[in-house]
Amino acid sequence: MIIKSNPEEFQDYLSDAANFKGECQKVFFPESNEDILLIVHEANEKSIPIAIAGNRTGLTGSSVPLSGYVIATNNLNKIIEINKENKFAIVEPGVLLSEFQAKIKEAGLFYPPDPTETNCFMGGTIATNASGAKSFKFGPTRNFVEMLEVILATGEILTLIRGENKVQNGMLNLITDSGTAIELEIPSIKSPKTKNAAGYYLTQHLDAIDLFIGSEGTLGLITKIKLRLIDPPQNIFSTVLFFEDELKALQFVKSARGKSKDQNQLLDALGLEFFDKRALNFLSKAYPNIPTSANSAVWIEQSYTDDSAEDVFGSWIELADKFDADIDNSWSAMTDSERAKFVDFRHAISWKINEYITQKGLHKVGTDTAVPEDQFEIFYHFAQKIVTQNKLEFVTYGHFGDCHIHLNMLPKNSEELKTAKKLYGVICRKAVELGGTISAEHGIGKLKRDYFMEMYGEDVIRQMAKLKRALDPNGILSPGNIFDEKYLVNNA
Amino acid sequence: MKIAVCVSHVPDTATKVNVGSDGKSIDPNGVTYVLNPYDEFAIEEALKTKEAVEGEVVILSVGGENNKETIRKSLAMGADAAVLLKSEGELDSFQVARALADEIKNQNAQLVFFGKQSVDYDNQIVGQLTAGILDYNCISVAVDFKLDGDKIIAEREIEGGREVVETTLPAVVTAQKGLNQPRYASLKGIMAAKRKTIEEKDAQIGESMVSIIGMQKPAPKQPGKIVGEDASAAPELARLLREEAKII
Repeated sequence: MIIKSNPEEFQDYLSDAANFKGECQKVFFPESNEDILLIVHEANEKSIPIAIAGNRTGLTGSSVPLSGYVIATNNLNKIIEINKENKFAIVEPGVLLSEFQAKIKEAGLFYPPDPTETNCFMGGTIATNASGAKSFKFGPTRNFVEMLEVILATGEILTLIRGENKVQNGMLNLITDSGTAIELEIPSIKSPKTKNAAGYYLTQHLDAIDLFIGSEGTLGLITKIKLRLIDPPQNIFSTVLFFEDELKALQFVKSARGKSKDQNQLLDALGLEFFDKRALNFLSKAYPNIPTSANSAVWIEQSYTDDSAEDVFGSWIELADKFDADIDNSWSAMTDSERAKFVDFRHAISWKINEYITQKGLHKVGTDTAVPEDQFEIFYHFAQKIVTQNKLEFVTYGHFGDCHIHLNMLPKNSEELKTAKKLYGVICRKAVELGGTISAEHGIGKLKRDYFMEMYGEDVIRQMAKLKRALDPNGILSPGNIFDEKYLVNNA
Repeated sequence: MKIAVCVSHVPDTATKVNVGSDGKSIDPNGVTYVLNPYDEFAIEEALKTKEAVEGEVVILSVGGENNKETIRKSLAMGADAAVLLKSEGELDSFQVARALADEIKNQNAQLVFFGKQSVDYDNQIVGQLTAGILDYNCISVAVDFKLDGDKIIAEREIEGGREVVETTLPAVVTAQKGLNQPRYASLKGIMAAKRKTIEEKDAQIGESMVSIIGMQKPAPKQPGKIVGEDASAAPELARLLREEAKII
């Protein structure tokens, strides 16, 4: 096991993609459970904090240490098995998502979760319950996790198999591999009826595995993951539609969303991704084919068979026509490599904004909010209006199929940054007021705890923190993530 | 005016190509075939010309049944008609040019676009040979194209710069990257392409003048990562340096 203790050698581990900065004493690169147990035993005994680092592509500071140790999962990077017959894969947490996707494709299978950032590690996708464009159809990562092996702060190993252990009468009984029983009282909380990555996933019939998925490294260290795979679609239709009228683009998304959820309809989008005029402006240099008249765009994907091709295409044309999409200038992929270009087009908006703010020395304040379907238009216009009124530069795009908006404010100076942060809070509060979430996919990490508090209230936070304390009594795992320290001391 | 575009069906450059068991051809197993990337510039220029001067764009391709996939894509981009000149087995550049010239004459196409080369064998000669057979004027490696009546003013990419050339119809133009930005097929284009018929004829190929004696892969290189081969790869490179290598 490589251990780095010279700060010059581990600077990379002191920040993430949001440029949240921290510090630590040592970074460990374990290669086995034995290596991890050595670190965890020492840390637990001496109450040394441990941050768990994947490829540090997160946007909430969750992989960044505040002190103590970092466990970097880079060398836990084996794809242990891809089982074609029974359609599953077993991987270690340090496997790159892009590599995993490529291997699964080579094996003739399909793994639907498709976070926009493919340079992340598989462990990170579990720890944040990552989602992507296709989550509209397939749901987030959670839906494909069949088994997890987790090392707890106490050094006990837990094997969680989906369907084998569920909450009964509000209680969850975990039995570790060595036979220790851990009894957890699962609080009953009201969660938003949207895609949600804020805090622990707590439901009345919670499956034990789901408590750990999306727990941002606060409950245990994931060491092995079994994922469900499916047969690949025969064909995938991928089209970027441009609209002159933004309102019509939004109505198109609404209609496509409704039809996709109606099983009697031919339309069945895998994803519905939206770009506003400002987002298209950012992309226009790299993509000169964007029609100059376009004020917004919607990228759609749907799977189809050779037999259904004509009907599926026809239905989309009909819907696009109804909302005055510029069909003649739409982009349709006819090959896998063209489809990959559309994926890049979507990814490009995120990193082009990051590139722009880095070059200009600006900041970015971006929302990860989602609201229930019937509140979406209200929320979208509310957010646009207050940012416009405050004269801030901004760009909007996102997973509009899931009513999930990334509104990125680009403040030009410290005064504007202050305004942007204030507006961020206002937008988050509005999302919560409308029954939504402050984080639909990025998680809470160390950056969004205040808004998380506003979303659930202190009582719920205390109940969630109680679960954390039951599994990690010394509070060594990922301190600072999700909870303020004050909720992690006993009797809090 | 009738404008012809000659397209080829080639292994995707992203695909891994292996030498077949006969030691002198590409093993097609596991290889994804696509429309030759340079031909996309040729199609785009033909469509732009058609939109400017009125006319008809016909796609010509020499090869087997599989070429229809590439022809359909060309039709979905907006071409009006297509002819598949059927032929099996490997052909040399001269045979391909002869088959194409024969059909271009038959179509009476006055303006013919090619990609500057096909990315399978990279001979970069079929356009010029076709022009020679037809006694058409020829502008190769074009990066700019203007048609004014019968007159063509084009720019060619040459070492270290560009040269402006002028000629008249009938002519063959071979397209270089940079000539234009090829359009994607539109939704309606794909639907329309499904309904268009691809005319099929036997290719008039004549005798071969070149035979392949052997084919071998280059010695394996040291592992490295190629992000791309021109300026368009710079953003991806910058992204990797920033997000993966984390050095900028």
